[in-house]
Formats: sequence, C-alpha cells, structure tokens
Amino acid sequence: MTVLFGGTVSIRDKYAFVGVGLTKLGKIPEMTPDELAAQAISLALADAGMRPDEVDGYIYQQGIGGGLGDTVPLQMTGIPASMVWQVASLGSYANVMVAMAIGAMESGLCHTCVLVHAASAASRRGGGMMGGGPPMGSTPGAYGWYGPGATAACMAQRYMHLYGLKREQLGAIALTLREYANKRPDAVMHDRVITMDDYLNARMVVEPLCLYDFCLVNDGAVALIITLAERARNFKKRPVYVMGYGIDHSLREMGKSPESIHHFDGFVAQKAGEEAFGMAGITIKDIDVAEIYDAFTIFLLSQLESYGICKRGEAGPFVAAGSLKLNGSFPSNTSGTGLSWGYLMGFTQLTEGIRQMRGEGGVCQVKNAEICLVTGLGGMVDNGSAATCCILRR
Amino acid sequence: MPEVKKQLPVITESNKAFWEAARRHELVAYRCLNCGALYLQQIDCVACGSPRMEWVKVSGRGEVFTFCIYHQPFHPAWKDDIPYNVAYVKLEEGPLLMTNIVGCDNKDIYIGMPVEVIFEDVAAEVTLPKFKPAG
Repeated sequence: MTVLFGGTVSIRDKYAFVGVGLTKLGKIPEMTPDELAAQAISLALADAGMRPDEVDGYIYQQGIGGGLGDTVPLQMTGIPASMVWQVASLGSYANVMVAMAIGAMESGLCHTCVLVHAASAASRRGGGMMGGGPPMGSTPGAYGWYGPGATAACMAQRYMHLYGLKREQLGAIALTLREYANKRPDAVMHDRVITMDDYLNARMVVEPLCLYDFCLVNDGAVALIITLAERARNFKKRPVYVMGYGIDHSLREMGKSPESIHHFDGFVAQKAGEEAFGMAGITIKDIDVAEIYDAFTIFLLSQLESYGICKRGEAGPFVAAGSLKLNGSFPSNTSGTGLSWGYLMGFTQLTEGIRQMRGEGGVCQVKNAEICLVTGLGGMVDNGSAATCCILRR
Repeated sequence: MPEVKKQLPVITESNKAFWEAARRHELVAYRCLNCGALYLQQIDCVACGSPRMEWVKVSGRGEVFTFCIYHQPFHPAWKDDIPYNVAYVKLEEGPLLMTNIVGCDNKDIYIGMPVEVIFEDVAAEVTLPKFKPAG
C-alpha cells in the first residue's frame, strides 16, 4: 500500500467513545454556557454509566457566543481532571480534539477524556466571535467582508463559473438535510418542512447563498467521553472505536499560486483523507455513512470532491441525484447536521457519527452501518483553512 | 446613538509601504529580486526563499477572480450600503487582492471581468484601492 502521508504508529481501535451527552438544542437563554456544558457532561456520564472521578482529562471548545468558564463545568459535575486543555473555536477542531485526547492517552497524560463544546449563539450573540467583528481596525472589514459566509459565497461563485454548479444543486443539499431533520425529534428544524420553491425564493444573505445555505444559529452543548479500548468495555454502551484521523491545511498550497491558500476552487483535504484512511487500513468505498461538515451547503459539496467521493466538478449532479439520502449511494449527514439539526461546530458531525455507529439513528439509521467518516473544516478569509477528519467504527 | 464608522485597515510595519503608496494613489507589490514573485506585504519570497525583495509599482489592471454580494449587514456601518459587493481581483502581475468593485451594478459583475484600480480616500491617512470596469 502506498502511504503518502503519516507515520507508521497506528492508533487504530485502541481508543473508543463510551459516553454521549447532549442538551436540548435551540434557544435556551435561561442557561449559561457553563450550565449547558455541565448538563451535557452529566448526561454523558449517565450514558456511559461512569463516575465523575473516572474522568481525568478535559478538552473544551468555546462555541459561538463563548462564555464557557474553563473548569467551571468540571466543578459543577465533580470531575477531578488533571489535564485541562482549551482549543481554538473552529469547525475543524472536534476531530483535532479526538487526536489530542488520543495523543494524551498514548503519552500517559490521562486515560479517560471528556470533550466538550458549548454554544450560546442564539442567546448571547454580539460582542463575541462573529458578532460583528472586533472594534479595532480590520483590512477585510474596510471592504465590508464579515463572517465566513463570504468565503462560502465566493467559493460557490467559483463553482458556478468553473463547473456550472446550479442553485438547485445546493438546494438539494439543504432539502436532503432538512428531510433528515424532520425525522429527528431533537433537531432544531424538526417541525419545519422546506420545498425547492422555498429554497429558490428564500432571501439572499451573501449572494449567491441564501438563508438555507447557512447553518443554524442555536444554543446547546455536547460532551463526548473517550477512553482506552480495554477500559471501554467496562461501561454501559457499546464502544465506538476510532480507526484513524487526519489533518490538512490549505497553507500546504502556499506559493503554488496567489489564490491557492484561499481554496475557492475546492478544499485542500487530500492529506487528511490519506492519513485517516491509511491508519484505518480502508478506502472511501468502505464508508457506510458520512457526517460531513456543513457550515454551508457549498462546504459539504466541495468536501465530497476533496475526499474523493466525487471527481472534481461532479458533486453538484451527485447531490441532485439524491446520493446523500438514506437510500442513496452515499448516505450522509443523517441528523440534518449544521444546516437543519443544530450547529455545534464539528461536534455536530462527531456526535451523529457516534450515534450512527451505536445504531441510535432512529428512523435515519443507516442499516448495518459499520464504518463512518466524520469531517470538519476551520479557517477564515486570508488564513486559509484546515480540513480534518476521523473514521469511526462500531 | 453615536455613528458607527466603517473599520479601517490595520497598517503595520510589514504592509505600510502598500498603504503609503495607496495614499499617493499608486498600487504597489513586493517583488522578489531573485524569481520575480509578487506579494502584497513584506515577506521573504515564499516561492524561492530569497530575502532580496523590493516594492514596485504594478499596473493596477486585473480581472475579477471571485465575488459575493451582501444582502444583510454583518456590521452596522454597512447597513446603508446593502446590497454591496466584495471581490477578489487577480492582478495582471499575479497577486490576489480583496477589494470592492465600483462604477457598475452588482448584477453586471462576473468572474473574468477586466477591471482597473481607482483610489478612494476614506480617512485623513487612509486610501483604499478599489476596482472599476476597465476601459
């Protein structure tokens, strides 16, 4: 086998998720991010059948709206963690947190780690990240460039120009994900059906992207517990094993051309895929279900090409053919994810990936699914962007 | 309510030559004396690693690489500009520049559209290079 990236150390199947705790998603102004996080941690412990003192590592990420007070959620739940790490607030980091937790356990820093994300985007927006920008100067701000939607819109514009991408194809993604969410009781958009007419007539936000091309703005928290495979079997739920993970960044393209790190013509994720699939010893054909990062419809579409699910330029017809549906050729984003279930950065995908591997997908469960691809993306404007993924198995 | 002002560029040691030139209504780029690669801020050459660089005037001509149109303000200072465009222009000499396209309707902007620089004095010490349809 050709391995272009990555080393020979394999972590395959050595670590497993054993606990999932998810609060309600939506508008929850009465709870602070700390309270949401503490509730998610308590639910994850109960889900695993684990005592608080069995957790010794904590890695957390501020969601949009911020406000998570470092160890406060641990104090509220009685977790005496000795390892406390905060990571960047980017959609790429859920998978990075999996890699960090595994790295920490490999090196003996801890044996059981809780990964936490808490968002207060609906109730505590403004002033925080993506709330209108910092008060100091900003070169993009001088031109009116705010928020990641412009990156996505500029990317969609390039796809329309290069490959003839149609709004109906982006709409097919929005509708497929909404149909999943309509079947999931805990989805923010569970009760809200949309049609292609609704999509095509929706108000533009950053043209060519409309309201339904953007992910949701919601509150909520999730906590995921990962531990050593030999400990995993002591807990209540069937362990979900990590087969591999990978990371890439468009900075790798730096110097090739002035526009290359902006990835407007497609994300740079080849190395992430090769690392993860190399570690797992599988190929994309072995994937039964995928949970692809979807801050915007175009992000999901482009990654189908970056990970080799479609050839470059072919993802539009692929999604329009219904490929991402439960009975399609590549069932994906089975909760409705960021566009329709709830946006918790990359935790939206990771959480649903674990649920699918446990068989907890309800009517959206992919039958006999054994292997799941989870992806993430992070980065803005002139920074380029990171692509991350991990592969889970039941 | 005090008026919310539009943000201004962050002018630093490594990009001040660019903004000082804009103030004189000149567009400049930082050129590698070894391989000729061009950048919009002071760095060692990414393409060949050479530290031998100089600021040079560029043509100010280019084409629209990509663009988007804001229909919703994400910053209060922009609410009266809705709908407005933000574009990336690829200069004839290579570099990619974030900007606004002026002097035409948003609906007439397209990828590949030939454009040329104009300069907008937005504050006492700050001038923004923007682009209008060429010709």
